[in-house]
Amino acid sequence: MRNSFTFRLILLLSMSSALIIAAAMTIDYRLARDEILDRLREESLVTVRNSISDLENMLDGVESSAHFMANFLGRQDLTEEQLENLLRDIVETNVDVFGAAIALNPELTSDEAGFAPYYHKAGGLIQRKNLADGPENYWSQHWYTQPIAAGKPVWVEPYFDELGAEVLMTTYSIPVYREDTNGAPELFGVVTADVTLEELKAYISRLRLGDNGYAFLVSGEGAILASKADSSAMRNYRDLIYTSPEASSWERAISGSDQLEDKPQLVQCPHIDDKCAIRTSRLRTTDWPFGVVYSEDELLAPLREFTAKSTILSTIILIIMVLSGTLIVRRLTSPLTKLAIAVDAIGGGELRAPLPRAKGHDEVARLIRSFASMQTDLRSYISSLEEVTAARSRLEGELTAAREIQMAMLPQGGEAIEKAEAFNLWAKVRPAKTVGGDLYSYYRDEQRLYLIVGDVSDKGVPAALFMARAMSLLQQQRANLIQPEAGMSLLNDALEQDNENCMFVTLFLGVLDLQSYALTFASAGHTPPSLLRNGVANTIEQDAGPALALASGLQFSANTLQLQAGDRLAIYTDGIDEAFNIDAEMFGMERFNQRLAAGVDEAVEDAGIGIIDSVDSFAAGTAQSDDITLMLLDIPEAKAAVSSSTDQLSRSFKLDAQLNASSGEWLEHALEQTGVAPDIIMEMTLVLEELVTNVRKYAGLPEDAELTVQVATTGNSLILTIVDGGVAFNPLEDAHRSPLGADIESAEIGGLGVHLVTQLTDEQVYRREGDQNLLRVVKLLQHD
Amino acid sequence: MDLTTTVSVDQENSVARVGLKGALNTDTAPEFEERLQKIVAEGHQLTVLDMKELDYISSAGLRVIFKAAKQTKSAGRRLAAANRKPHIDKVFEILKALPDMAVFANDEELDEYLDSMQSKVKGD
Repeated sequence: MRNSFTFRLILLLSMSSALIIAAAMTIDYRLARDEILDRLREESLVTVRNSISDLENMLDGVESSAHFMANFLGRQDLTEEQLENLLRDIVETNVDVFGAAIALNPELTSDEAGFAPYYHKAGGLIQRKNLADGPENYWSQHWYTQPIAAGKPVWVEPYFDELGAEVLMTTYSIPVYREDTNGAPELFGVVTADVTLEELKAYISRLRLGDNGYAFLVSGEGAILASKADSSAMRNYRDLIYTSPEASSWERAISGSDQLEDKPQLVQCPHIDDKCAIRTSRLRTTDWPFGVVYSEDELLAPLREFTAKSTILSTIILIIMVLSGTLIVRRLTSPLTKLAIAVDAIGGGELRAPLPRAKGHDEVARLIRSFASMQTDLRSYISSLEEVTAARSRLEGELTAAREIQMAMLPQGGEAIEKAEAFNLWAKVRPAKTVGGDLYSYYRDEQRLYLIVGDVSDKGVPAALFMARAMSLLQQQRANLIQPEAGMSLLNDALEQDNENCMFVTLFLGVLDLQSYALTFASAGHTPPSLLRNGVANTIEQDAGPALALASGLQFSANTLQLQAGDRLAIYTDGIDEAFNIDAEMFGMERFNQRLAAGVDEAVEDAGIGIIDSVDSFAAGTAQSDDITLMLLDIPEAKAAVSSSTDQLSRSFKLDAQLNASSGEWLEHALEQTGVAPDIIMEMTLVLEELVTNVRKYAGLPEDAELTVQVATTGNSLILTIVDGGVAFNPLEDAHRSPLGADIESAEIGGLGVHLVTQLTDEQVYRREGDQNLLRVVKLLQHD
Repeated sequence: MDLTTTVSVDQENSVARVGLKGALNTDTAPEFEERLQKIVAEGHQLTVLDMKELDYISSAGLRVIFKAAKQTKSAGRRLAAANRKPHIDKVFEILKALPDMAVFANDEELDEYLDSMQSKVKGD
């Protein structure tokens, strides 16, 4: 799964989605955060300004009311009743004015106690008090004295109104002057308008910034007019802030700025855990410090909320993208997975495994269609292959049966071994295909042995059928084959009839007289036989006629060959000498004769199989090109007139200075023992000397190396064999031979030995066997 | 088998007579060659190889005789063989060796020849 295409695709899509979303969100957050931050700060600033403005408006209203009354009083003489009404109206109509008083200069009043009516709100009603009735003179009160002292309107420090409404308040007092008779200003009285601390606090508390934020108002002398806690009212703010470790910050904030600054100061403050922000200003009307304290964090809560929402949103989008990506990828790749399973099944031999349905025309669909078509083709191919295989095995079965039938036509079923007193015979047919056109046959008729080897043109079934025809004709004509050349003509005419296909057959037909070993044979274009005699094999020259079955009325010649004891006659078809190796070289008659000679000491059947094995190993790597037939006929020694046994002696000699003498002596002694005539002994000794001298000279061997001399005598021949392990050297061809009979002046000296060897013996054969030189000479012995 | 050689020189007629006994083969040829070369070098008009008692000759031996024949012929002198046994004769025949070499079948023929040569010399 981890390595699957689906998994990798989903992983890649998810990762890239996550990166893109994270990047987008980060950029968006950066931009939005700054904007939100600015907006929040702006909002807080506006809130504070509005609050200040409200408060200022209220105080302005109070001041206006007081000034209104002062103007009246300064310009017009009013009755007491009119003054009372004025006061009542002011208090009644002006919601922010808690109370108002007109206190006349006691020096100008008729009454000694003065005249100071005071109206104030109390429980929704307007109540009147006469301040002149109080226990203390009103003109000694600071709300009366302060403005007079200042000569201008003042906001009196907050105080508890013991004379009037008995509440905490602050008062705006205006001194009213009139001109006396001399034109000099004379105090006429003081007009006041009161604002309760309750009222101020109500205004202040309307300003809220965050859960823990609060505003405060401080009087000109530092008394707290309104703040978070009621308990702190009327106390000097310095008494409170000097318990704080950041008193200086507070002091600076409260007493410092006259203007509201854009950015808040950050200080440590109680009630608020983290840094709290403080903004301060002064009221324009009263010059009282005013401030707000709030938690910047609380103020920025919307920003955090925004951040959290963004994060959640991003996560949700990512999850949705991953899920939809997974779905899409799975939807796209599921046919591929199913296809892989189906193709595995097809590969396992289940040719009808269902493939997934191909929808649309995309690459996957095309792939599925291709596989479907491949599946169909494969099914039809395999089914036709099965039919062909069945047909072939049926045909092979028939051919095998045909082969058995064909082989049954041949004596002993294709490989024959016949050992009689007068001859040993071995023959074998091996077709190139299951059936073939080669044939052999033999049969005895009293003192005659008939030998037949044939080769039908072409190979395979047509050749086999024609071969069957030839075999049955041979059977029919048995009695007429005593003279091979005449028998051959008969067979030719019979085979030529109805031979529309122009098949032909080459045939060796021989008749051996088992008394005289005289062989008469006729050849219809057949490969000449070879004769192995005294260890030397030669191809027999023959007078061959044309192949059989092509024209009628052909004549053939009789060839004769006198066989003798120890002879081996080989009759074969061109499948042997025309066998090709992978280098396109032919086996050839010469190689056949060499191989025939090499098997001189082997029994006839071993020699025959050996020759066929040689052909096979020669042609290894190529298909057998033609049918192979080989027939070997041995004339046993037992029938020879003399010396029935073969005496063989062998001895090794060192290649030292004694070589010639010791080998010569040994040979002489050996031949004397077997009763060979003295002149032959001398000649053979001479031959041996020439041969061992050659070995010593040309084999390139050290003196302690050895050569082996073998001597064998059969009834009528003497075979001398020299074997040495030296460099390849064939004295028959490689040794220097000087021309004979030359005039002595031009004659060469030396180069005579090989002449002696070839002249004194009847056969000479050289062979390189492995890393040894083998030279064999045969001397025929004359018997009386 | 060994080879024994006996040499008798007739200074008057300038004839050297070399008797061979035994076998002239690969083993004995080198020594005989040395000996024969000396005799040839003495410059006799005729050198006769008496093979009456020579039982065996091989190509190595023939080579020595061949060489001597060639040398004497080029010097205008002669080399002859006498008393060849049949099988020695056969070897010479096979090799068609020394066709123009004087060959004496027996001592009588040789003596006759020597006499005639002597009288020729005297007649001169």
